[in-house]
Amino acid sequence: MQKAFVVWLALVVGLYVLAQASLDRPDEAGVVRMSWATDPNPARTVQAGLFGEMYPGLEVFVDPGLGGDQTKLIVQCATGVGPDIVDVYNQQQLWNLVQSGILLDITSHAERMGFAPRHTYPSVEDALKVEGRQYCFPANVWANCVIYNRAIFDDHGVPYPEAGWTYEQFVDTARRIRDTPSRSGDTHLAVAHWSPVWFVQDTLMGAGGRMFSEDGLRSALDEPAALATMRLYHRLMHVDRVLPTPAEAASLSSQGGWGSGGINWFSTGKAAMIFIGRWYIVQAKNYPGLADDLGAVRLPRVGERASQGMIGARSAAVNAQSPRAQEVLSFLQYLATPEYSGLIVDDGDALPPNPARARTGEDLANGVVGNPAFHQPFIDAVTHGRALDVSPYINGALVERWLRERIEQVENGLIGPDEAMRELAAEINARVRRNIEREPGLAAKAAG
Amino acid sequence: MSQKPGRALLARLALLCVVGLTMSVPFVWMVSVSLKTRVEAEAPTIVPADPTLHNYPIVLDIEPDPVTGRKLGLKFGRWYFNSLFVALTITFLQAVTSAMAAYAFSRMRWRGRDKVFLLYIATMMIPGVVMMIPNFQVMVSLGFLNTYHGLIVPAAFSAFGTFLLRQFMLSIPTSLDEAARMDGAGHWRVFWHVIVPLARPGLIALTIITFLGAYQSFFWPLIMLNQPQFYPMSVGLLALDTSYGRQAELMMAATVMNIAPLVIVFVVFQRYLVSGLQLGSVKG
Repeated sequence: MQKAFVVWLALVVGLYVLAQASLDRPDEAGVVRMSWATDPNPARTVQAGLFGEMYPGLEVFVDPGLGGDQTKLIVQCATGVGPDIVDVYNQQQLWNLVQSGILLDITSHAERMGFAPRHTYPSVEDALKVEGRQYCFPANVWANCVIYNRAIFDDHGVPYPEAGWTYEQFVDTARRIRDTPSRSGDTHLAVAHWSPVWFVQDTLMGAGGRMFSEDGLRSALDEPAALATMRLYHRLMHVDRVLPTPAEAASLSSQGGWGSGGINWFSTGKAAMIFIGRWYIVQAKNYPGLADDLGAVRLPRVGERASQGMIGARSAAVNAQSPRAQEVLSFLQYLATPEYSGLIVDDGDALPPNPARARTGEDLANGVVGNPAFHQPFIDAVTHGRALDVSPYINGALVERWLRERIEQVENGLIGPDEAMRELAAEINARVRRNIEREPGLAAKAAG
Repeated sequence: MSQKPGRALLARLALLCVVGLTMSVPFVWMVSVSLKTRVEAEAPTIVPADPTLHNYPIVLDIEPDPVTGRKLGLKFGRWYFNSLFVALTITFLQAVTSAMAAYAFSRMRWRGRDKVFLLYIATMMIPGVVMMIPNFQVMVSLGFLNTYHGLIVPAAFSAFGTFLLRQFMLSIPTSLDEAARMDGAGHWRVFWHVIVPLARPGLIALTIITFLGAYQSFFWPLIMLNQPQFYPMSVGLLALDTSYGRQAELMMAATVMNIAPLVIVFVVFQRYLVSGLQLGSVKG
């Protein structure tokens, strides 16, 4: 036993020496290195590389997190060693990070350095600001459309969806895909349903609904537009049966995991349509031949209303505690350049932040999908989209979790759509009241 | 009469087979997906229609990804090394510190010993998440961010390991160390030459449990590191699951290679692991 310990000690010491000796120790003299909390996908390396070329003396490296999960960021920022650049994935996160004091107010810097909100799409402006102050600039901009597989439509002899279609026409199209035998003999799902929360939020926007009242003091999810939205969702799944139920989805997927199943069904030619952003084509590259068959159309209209959906941005913000805040501002300036937007166009990672690089579908045609008609609906969707409204009186992540829970209850037939939305609104309102009672700052804001 | 035990035995065996097969499904699925092409990876089938071993050299950066034509650029070998190095070091340090602490709590008599021990094991009741920020703050203050030390030092001490070995050492007759002391041995000699050899089964059990835990550790390395050259495999695998999609077949190939050391450790030492899990119930 003693010998084993001695041998083990020698092994550990040897490995330690080897580990230390083989570390890369780059010469950092004269270079300012900044960490970027984002996901470690290969495109980030290219984006960081171009920044280094355009801004000599500055270097960005990726500090990987867990996608939208903020735990790492919170732990690091709470101890004053957070990343220099923080990716913000949605409006709720932006509010939470601003209220936690993590993000730097960049309003005056943005104006001076050329990355004020007017340098991106007007419809995205709300997604960059909290209470009128700018805190971030988009790394990309997204809005969902319906991407469809033309080969599957041809196989079933169903005409492609056309701009201006309604949900009634969507149901009709989906039923025909489902019920018409294909020439190949294959069966297909009509829709690869992968993000129920986004689906409901997009439809809510399309129905003219809101999450909260204008002043943020009350949930608007018990209003007619929200009730109609959940009724429509319930109908599509349980009456028209064009969206797979959770049980059907589980039986089709071998992978599980958030969203992965639905996206992979579409990518592998098992489903005809998917509600998703242009960023999907980054994945399409991985499936040979698929990109040539892709078409896109804006979200169906709800009733007589014009097509409208949610708009969002994965944005970069500055850690207020960063000792390199000035240099990080250069990174945000870089995001507004045509050169950076060129990378986004070529890669297909949603829409570029610089609208001058996305005026028409021609501008967005790239090596993945060369057809301009595919890209145009995404530009239109961003132009006419609306950022999800949030309330300063309640944690947006909590609201989204509660919404997801209610959607799951409706999907599983545990609760009716009207009841689900009314209960959700009541729950949100109760929490808003409680927060205002407990936090003097919120009470003052509500009173003012 | 003689047939009844036979039927009961068969029924038990059948039940065990069903349970065993059920539990092996995720493992079989993992291996199966690692042998599939990207297009087939999502198919809910166990046997690949067109089995391929190419996912392995792609993950190892020997071959380019056939779809994109580019190498992935993963530092798989480095991450493998880091996982093994960190897990082996943590295991060694935890075995040493736990054995010494257990000796002090079981063989040495000193004022307040049991109260201190109670306090010590009470730390096991605090959820790890609660201690996350204070622990992280300490590591930052020590300058251990982005170092191997930051991964190793916090895990080098364990209340659970101390408890496990103390229970085991309490079952060793005190007459042995009394005899050693009569021969002039001090605490170090008693610990090193008498107690450690006799505590071998307990030490091996602790070693296995600690190695398995340290090798699979994910969240602590994730928040402590932002330089890929320090990543263990658990964090490095994130590169295959990004906002650009999940490459399931590559992730499963990497996972198969990643868990190989765990499987070896478990197969070789499983009898110690089982006996180790029963240690706490022997004597208090």
